[in-house]
Amino acid sequence: MISINTYLELIPSLLDGAKVTIQVLLWSLIFTFIIAFIAGLGKLSKWMVIRGISTVYIEIFRGTSLLVQLFWIYFVLPLFGMELSAMTAGVIAMSLCYGAYASEIVRGAILSIPKGQYEAAIALNMTPFQRMKNIILPQAFKIMLPGFGNISIELIKGTALVSLITLSDLTYQALTLRNTHVGLTTEIFLSLLILYFFIALPLILFVRWMERRVQVGRA
Amino acid sequence: MTIWSWDYTFEVFPVIFKAMWITLSATIVAFALAMVLGIILAVLRRSSFKPLVWTIIGLSEFIRATPPLVQLFFVFYDLPFFGISLSPFVAGVIGLGVHYSTYCAEIYRSGIESVPRGQWEAATALNFSRTQRWTKVILPQAIPPIIPMLGNYLISMFKDTPLLSAITVVEMLQTAKIAGSASFRYLEPFTIVGFLFLVLSYPSALLIKQLEVHLNRRKKENKAKKSKVKDVAPSC
Amino acid sequence: MLTTMSKEITEKRIQTEKPFVVYKKVSKSFGDLKVLREIDFSVYPGEKVAIIGPSGSGKTTLIRLLMTLEEPTSGVIEIDGVPLWHKEVKGKLIKADEKHLHKMRGQIGMVFQQFNLFPHMTVLRNCTEAQVKVLGVNRKDAEDRAKEMLEKVGLGTKLDNYPSQLSGGQQQRVAIARALVMRPKVMLFDEPTSALDPELVGEVLDVIREIAAEGDMAMILVTHEMEFAKDVADRIVFTDGGKIIEEGSPKEVFENPKSERLQSFLRRMRK
Ligand SMILES: Nc1ncnc2c1ncn2[C@@H]1O[C@H](COP(=O)(O)OP(=O)(O)OP(=O)(O)O)[C@@H](O)[C@H]1O
Ligand SMILES: [Mg+2]
Repeated sequence: MISINTYLELIPSLLDGAKVTIQVLLWSLIFTFIIAFIAGLGKLSKWMVIRGISTVYIEIFRGTSLLVQLFWIYFVLPLFGMELSAMTAGVIAMSLCYGAYASEIVRGAILSIPKGQYEAAIALNMTPFQRMKNIILPQAFKIMLPGFGNISIELIKGTALVSLITLSDLTYQALTLRNTHVGLTTEIFLSLLILYFFIALPLILFVRWMERRVQVGRA
Repeated sequence: MTIWSWDYTFEVFPVIFKAMWITLSATIVAFALAMVLGIILAVLRRSSFKPLVWTIIGLSEFIRATPPLVQLFFVFYDLPFFGISLSPFVAGVIGLGVHYSTYCAEIYRSGIESVPRGQWEAATALNFSRTQRWTKVILPQAIPPIIPMLGNYLISMFKDTPLLSAITVVEMLQTAKIAGSASFRYLEPFTIVGFLFLVLSYPSALLIKQLEVHLNRRKKENKAKKSKVKDVAPSC
Repeated sequence: MLTTMSKEITEKRIQTEKPFVVYKKVSKSFGDLKVLREIDFSVYPGEKVAIIGPSGSGKTTLIRLLMTLEEPTSGVIEIDGVPLWHKEVKGKLIKADEKHLHKMRGQIGMVFQQFNLFPHMTVLRNCTEAQVKVLGVNRKDAEDRAKEMLEKVGLGTKLDNYPSQLSGGQQQRVAIARALVMRPKVMLFDEPTSALDPELVGEVLDVIREIAAEGDMAMILVTHEMEFAKDVADRIVFTDGGKIIEEGSPKEVFENPKSERLQSFLRRMRK
């Protein structure tokens, strides 16, 4: 039963990795949603320049691939004098990439609010900012939630990529452990998958719950 | 010194471009696998044998919620312990294909569920066999409306192929990385890879959007036709 | 008989005062479709004007221009002598900015065909939000006024309900209270009862009648309810094909229509 004991010894390093993963996740979530609102509202702006910039950003980051973006930011930006830690590079890449996807959720939700709501807000003489803040966004936000939940699950999966730029997250720790304990490959990878699943589980349950609520509401 | 070197660009572009075939063939094979596995999962989910259904639901949720990168490592490094040794390319295709099959299954499911009940009853009434019901009646109606959604996942998968570099498949990104580490120039190779992804995926996405609009319009027209018939009927 | 009394008061005012709202040669097109053609139209302080006319004749568009929901293609609309959609700079009229529109809009209120209540707010909140945010009233006073108006429309007991918990007629009465609390000088009604089940029409019309009887506020009512228009309005305006074809007191318009088009419209409505 040597292998069970060795396996148990590996757990703490995996949990260390989980801490890093969660750290990357939380920072990325914050910036993803900030960016999503900026780009989503930007694409609906009445000024063409802002619309243009938002569109270009969204299409570039949705049209290329997260890992390519991550490598670009981590390996190329230092050439321009921007030394980034692996953590910073990871958070920037993830936020920009998933922010582009999430901005479409923001935009779609805002567009789904009936025109009458804008008109009623105008008739009450609210300013454009007040219309957005008090009338449109509170309603749109509810519609965004399931989409945000799904993006967050994608984001959790995406965090594994930072292991490829040497950030010692969950996946990186597992790979390192596997190098020294090849005989435990199965155990290590299964634990890894299960840990990821448990990080995602609250979000999965949240999304399923939201979806059910929406369905009930429609019926 | 200018930062961007065109000379170097022209030097590495052909090398990376050649690797695009690996990227594209991995995408196509993996997606074919995902579509076939997806159908199997979707059909099995309708089985009346509940333990099977629960297993499939649980496994699908699990696969969908965990990183494809880790799944690739699992397939590549772990299956050999069970006597299955795979080349990086095959391992990669299996990893991505299985991951995406769970998404495809969800899409098929939505397509299948949108086929009206009457169609099942009619198929049974016409005494089609079980297989025939699926292949002749249900799937031909369920699949066309979901083609755009499948298309979107095809593009997603295409953009996920750089993950294969992590299990040593020499696709575009890996080629760029090798070139970059040899010359200590990363700017041009990585930018070229990003550019190639954009050039391929953006027009495809537009095409799919077009298709979606087209399908929606057809659906609306059909509905309009139907409702017209309804409007006329009572007065006859 | 309140109505007749207030009508007499309005009558006097029209003779002595300047119009409050004036449309001068106002046209509106949507692409190639000309919806309004050089409309001249005015409303006096406190006057109640009913607009009738066939579907598509431009009634809704006419009042949406005044609520700044639609921009005129040409012509000028003035409120109390000040151009609504334009600003005077060195004797020339240029297109107004949002700031100017904001200043002008405070004088107008509107009740929509589809109510357009805010579904994420309670009835009370629907009626206080804009008072607090736009007029800068403190929340306590805003709530007092909202309660008073909700009482008036008969919904004093529904303060904490959400719009989805109310019937259509109740929702429309909340919408009326929501517009009233802002103290507009002119209130616009766009077919306020045509989205309602027939048995709910009466309660909404009664509320509007009551408000009209109070006198002070001018009202422009787009409606298909001819009896109601006859009761409430000081003046009836008949539109067709984007033009005002005929206008006059309810008596003139309903009992002695001059134009062929109005005659046939009224015949169709009576059926
Ligand atoms: N935003 C718009 N874009 C294009 N056409 C419009 C728009 N709004 C109104 N129209 C058209 O303008 C014409 C007049 O519309 P309007 O709503 O003012 O008529 P209405 O007299 O209120 O009719 P109804 O009694 O049916 O409400 C109609 O033909 C309508 O289709
Ligand atoms: Mg109308």
